[in-house]
Amino acid sequence: MLVGLGAVVSLTLGACAAPAPDGARSEFADWNDVIRAAQGQTVKLWMYGGDTQGNAYIDDVLAPAVAAEGVTLERVPVTDTSDALNRVLSELQAGRTDDGTVDLVWVNGDNFRTGKEAGAWLCDWTNLMPNLALTAPDDPLLLKDFGTPVDGCEAPWNKAQFTFVYNSDVIADPPTTLAGVLAWAEAHPGRFSYPAPPDFTGSVFTREVLYSVSGGYENVPATFDQDAYDQLTPKLFERLRDLAPSLWRAGSTYPANEQELNQLYADRQIDLTMTYGPATLTDLVASGTYPPGTKVLSLEEGTVGNASFLSIPANAASSAGAMVVANVALSAGQQLAKAHPATWGQFTVLDPNELTPDDRARFDALPSSPVVPSYDVLSRSANPELAAAWVPVLDEGWRTTVLAGR
Amino acid sequence: MTGLDLRRPGDPGSTLTLAHGRGRLLRVLSTTLVASWFLLPFAPLALWAFANQWSFPSTLPTEWGFDGLSSAIAQGALPALGTSLLLSLVVAALATPLGALAARALTFGTVPWPRTVSIALLAPIALPPFAAVLGLNVLLLRAHIPPEAGLVLVLVVMAVPYTTFTMRVAYAAHDIHYEEEARTLGASRWNILWRVHIPLVAPALSRAAFLAFLVGWSDYVVTVVVGGGEVVTLPLVTASMAAGIGNDSAVAILSLSAIVPPLALLALAGFAGRRPRTGAVQKTPNVGERP
Repeated sequence: MLVGLGAVVSLTLGACAAPAPDGARSEFADWNDVIRAAQGQTVKLWMYGGDTQGNAYIDDVLAPAVAAEGVTLERVPVTDTSDALNRVLSELQAGRTDDGTVDLVWVNGDNFRTGKEAGAWLCDWTNLMPNLALTAPDDPLLLKDFGTPVDGCEAPWNKAQFTFVYNSDVIADPPTTLAGVLAWAEAHPGRFSYPAPPDFTGSVFTREVLYSVSGGYENVPATFDQDAYDQLTPKLFERLRDLAPSLWRAGSTYPANEQELNQLYADRQIDLTMTYGPATLTDLVASGTYPPGTKVLSLEEGTVGNASFLSIPANAASSAGAMVVANVALSAGQQLAKAHPATWGQFTVLDPNELTPDDRARFDALPSSPVVPSYDVLSRSANPELAAAWVPVLDEGWRTTVLAGR
Repeated sequence: MTGLDLRRPGDPGSTLTLAHGRGRLLRVLSTTLVASWFLLPFAPLALWAFANQWSFPSTLPTEWGFDGLSSAIAQGALPALGTSLLLSLVVAALATPLGALAARALTFGTVPWPRTVSIALLAPIALPPFAAVLGLNVLLLRAHIPPEAGLVLVLVVMAVPYTTFTMRVAYAAHDIHYEEEARTLGASRWNILWRVHIPLVAPALSRAAFLAFLVGWSDYVVTVVVGGGEVVTLPLVTASMAAGIGNDSAVAILSLSAIVPPLALLALAGFAGRRPRTGAVQKTPNVGERP
């Protein structure tokens, strides 16, 4: 509703300095305007700082590349993306609509939706970028971000796939379905766990189990429906309640987040873990944090995937510079460098069909990671994410039935 | 000594010495216990700092090295250390004289409603910083105060209660007659301040400055909210690293390097705190002789 309204407003208003409820609109006529305005600007990129490979990629690869375009890129490390969003919202609340300190944010999902509802993002600017033509115009992962229409309010950057990870030195014969994973966990008490929803990863896991007990994602309506909830979830919660005694510490406690869960895996306390960021796996194995036998578990029914984006706040002081950074980050050269397992290993958002034969050959020639299969393999039969409205209800249901019933 | 059975307290064998010895033993023992209580938590940190690999069942790191150090440096630990030092020194340099002025005025009764003023000065400690800072930040943004200045302003306000109360204790024991005498002897205000007043309160000043330094040094919330990304301090780098997996050794290095500057300052303050006590008193009599 709000989004539809926003589209109409954008047609009639064109440029709008104050943050309308639907977000500010880019005021540049074409890309040359952007390039001209960007010269000499310094762009502050606020991003999660806990990924050393990602930090090094920004500082050593992306920053020099955008410097060649006349833009200085500075990284601001935060513990959580919501820190950046809070900063933007405070600035907007204070009426600082054109000199904000946040120029670019690595964002997706909930933070994007919250910001979009609050009019915190600059919109309708991504199609100015020449490199957007390298992505597929109908790629569902790039059109909707966890069910929220993207509407040119963020530029695609990475793709990710929810991934189960196991230690092949311990599990010689890994399960091939999620039902098999749960059965394996029951056969090996104490060697599996999942973060407690509403943690992001724990919440995704619950939805994956919902797909599994419902006989596939096709049987779960994407938009929330109370009847479907009443009909489908008893099976889900019963399955998770039955599983609980077989979990780490007999399910008396759950890891609070993906980091705690993966720490258990790094400490060899569990043999099967999960992550929404498989890009980091190669490095974690190489550095010895994860067991050397670490492998990605491919499930027959697939897992959910998503994309992450670069978003410009509505009040960014260096919005033109930020667009240049987003465009460079989307170039074939940068996407290729970023996809290299030794650099960062983030999957590209580009469509192979839109690339030049040379670039396509370079992507094909990327060394494969010993741990993570290629995106094609990983995203085979990828499941769609449920609409955001499902998430809080499922999390609450988990808390009242599974957690309370232990 | 000369055949007389005269024992003095402190002579070997005296019951007083015996009690003293036992008390000493007890004191040494309790000091050791308290010290280890404080130092023990640093043992795993020190081990992690030089552990390239350390997995769960092993009691000691399985591979030693400097990966943590190089990773911490690659993540910008050095500039962050410099920013943290600068920020904390600026906060100390502003909050200490402010606290001293407030404490002197409160102690010598030159302020109306001293009780209300004291409570107002103490208020920033009582408020939960996160809630206060979020609201305050909108105010600072609205007033177009640059993030760096806003950050220093808020941190100084948070440090002033500590400096004020440290200085109040000092002024309560401060003998203002030294200053009056210097004035009688013809010393200028400037001379009294620099050669009588400040030397007398110097130990307290260094204690107050140390506390103010710690307020800036340890802050995370104000820096992240008000600093607006312009000021990347050591706590910010440490926290963002701690949010990731496999960064334990870098986080240990960052945490250890966060302990060193305050410890060095504490040693310096302890050293500086001893000297002026004798120096000031000896200098006082000849203040008036100088023009």
